[in-house]
Amino acid sequence: MRNSFIFLLVFAVTAFPAWATLGGSVESVVTDQSKFHAKRAVVERRDYTIHEITADDGTLIREYVTPGGKVFGVSWTGPTIPDLTQLLGAYNTEFQTALHAKRGRRSSAAVHNPDLVVESIGHMRAFHGRAYLNSMLPSGVTEDVVQ
Amino acid sequence: MRLVGWRNWAAATATAVLLMTLAGCSAGSSSGSSGTGVTTTPPPPVNNVQPVIMDYGPTVNGQFVGFNNTLYTTVTICMPGTTTCQSIDHVLVDTGSTGLRIPASLVTLSLPFITDASKNSIGNCVQFADTTYQWGPIVKVDIQMAGEVASSVPIQIVGPANFAAVPALCSVGGTPAQTVADLGANGILGVGLFRQDCGSACAAGAPPAVYFSCPASGCVAASVPIASQLQNPVWMFPQDNNGLAIILPQVGAAGSVSLSGSMIFGIGTQSDNALGGAQAQGADFEGNFTTTYNGTPYPGSFIDSGSSGYFFLDSTTTGLPNCAANSDANGFYCPASPVSFMAMNSGPNPKGTGVPVSINVAFSIANALPLIDSTSVAFNNIGGPNPLMFDWGLPFFLGRTVFIGIEGQSSAAGTGPYWAY
Repeated sequence: MRNSFIFLLVFAVTAFPAWATLGGSVESVVTDQSKFHAKRAVVERRDYTIHEITADDGTLIREYVTPGGKVFGVSWTGPTIPDLTQLLGAYNTEFQTALHAKRGRRSSAAVHNPDLVVESIGHMRAFHGRAYLNSMLPSGVTEDVVQ
Repeated sequence: MRLVGWRNWAAATATAVLLMTLAGCSAGSSSGSSGTGVTTTPPPPVNNVQPVIMDYGPTVNGQFVGFNNTLYTTVTICMPGTTTCQSIDHVLVDTGSTGLRIPASLVTLSLPFITDASKNSIGNCVQFADTTYQWGPIVKVDIQMAGEVASSVPIQIVGPANFAAVPALCSVGGTPAQTVADLGANGILGVGLFRQDCGSACAAGAPPAVYFSCPASGCVAASVPIASQLQNPVWMFPQDNNGLAIILPQVGAAGSVSLSGSMIFGIGTQSDNALGGAQAQGADFEGNFTTTYNGTPYPGSFIDSGSSGYFFLDSTTTGLPNCAANSDANGFYCPASPVSFMAMNSGPNPKGTGVPVSINVAFSIANALPLIDSTSVAFNNIGGPNPLMFDWGLPFFLGRTVFIGIEGQSSAAGTGPYWAY
């Protein structure tokens, strides 16, 4: 009883299913999905797999996974920006550092480093973004698939 | 209707509600007595012209901290129902958001935080596309601009020290833009297409991470009644409340060090805010429409006075080289000579006729680096990349009259949300 009560609290505080991290393994998302009962759809493509996670507030997260099970790209669409520390993992630090070099303006965010690419666009009520790692794109797959 | 929302939510403002109610009663009885047997004439129209400016912005420790292409105005906030007020200059005029947000460091009024039924403070979160955010409690104030007054409006106090820490679902690994220096402004006045910052999505179950209930154990995302959410103050004015127009002069190719313009409240409500020849195009429930460039439609496009340039597409699609990443113009386009563009904005007819309205827009992009390094701050010709969409930023407003039709509010142009220009 006590354990299940604590579990419910954690669920309420998190309020959104956890997901795999850019550059990480896809296995964690399967574990998370079963734990949090999130809605998840898997779309098989020839050279990669798309895992779509839909949150109750309408946010759609897509993870793009190599045949070897690594997340080479992520995207998001929704009323707010999802937790980038979770979605981009350590790459969020690189993203934020690059953004700080662009201070003094108000606009969307686009960082194109040699390996890491992150784009965050939109406005209140309608945000969209994507991130990918050039070094992890499967053979024959371009960054255009990450939408 | 709004009062019911208050009672549910605002234990801390119950006194204010009572005071407002009493004030309303006395005002009602006095007008009733004056009306006895006397023919009343309609009151003269209120002043609906609010000055707006572009300049070097507010100062912090004697230094100007404004950004380029920022539109400012002065907003007066008051304790609800009283004449205890303060004026705040250099508040950013933002058609891309909704609601008034003031850094806590600037607020001198003693305003109680709004609480929910459990006596927990309500936290509000706003995120921007550059992954900056603002976090803070909600208070209620009367907002005065020109001769207009919006009464008891929920606003956000940004970043007070005596409030709960920002939840991870708000900060999301981004960067706070909560100080005057970080923001380049003394707050944000969101006068976009919508009545509320979030609306019905935040009043229902499974709300997005915009409103939070904040017990001592930590803040959790929460549903908040629509009337308790941050409001576009314009639609809460007693008159001239169906929208507004922003009128700014044009600038030359070298930009300008300052300029003055007007924000006029109401659309077709007085002699100074007629639509004239402006065409009206609707926007969708997220505030977006389609911009077509070179035969390709880009849905998800929008107009935003809070964006500091024309941000559109990418270097490959536009043929515009990006500015060097290590330069002052990082994030802008830097063509060797100015390049002219033509694009078409399309949206539903706000009159509901089903025939979409399309409006051609011409603009030019110059090398942003010498402009940004110059002493000018207002430019009609700087832009940068924004993948797969158009963000018609502040330059779009220069040399134009742009009408903003608020959702659910009607004028001769139709029913909002719509733009007319």
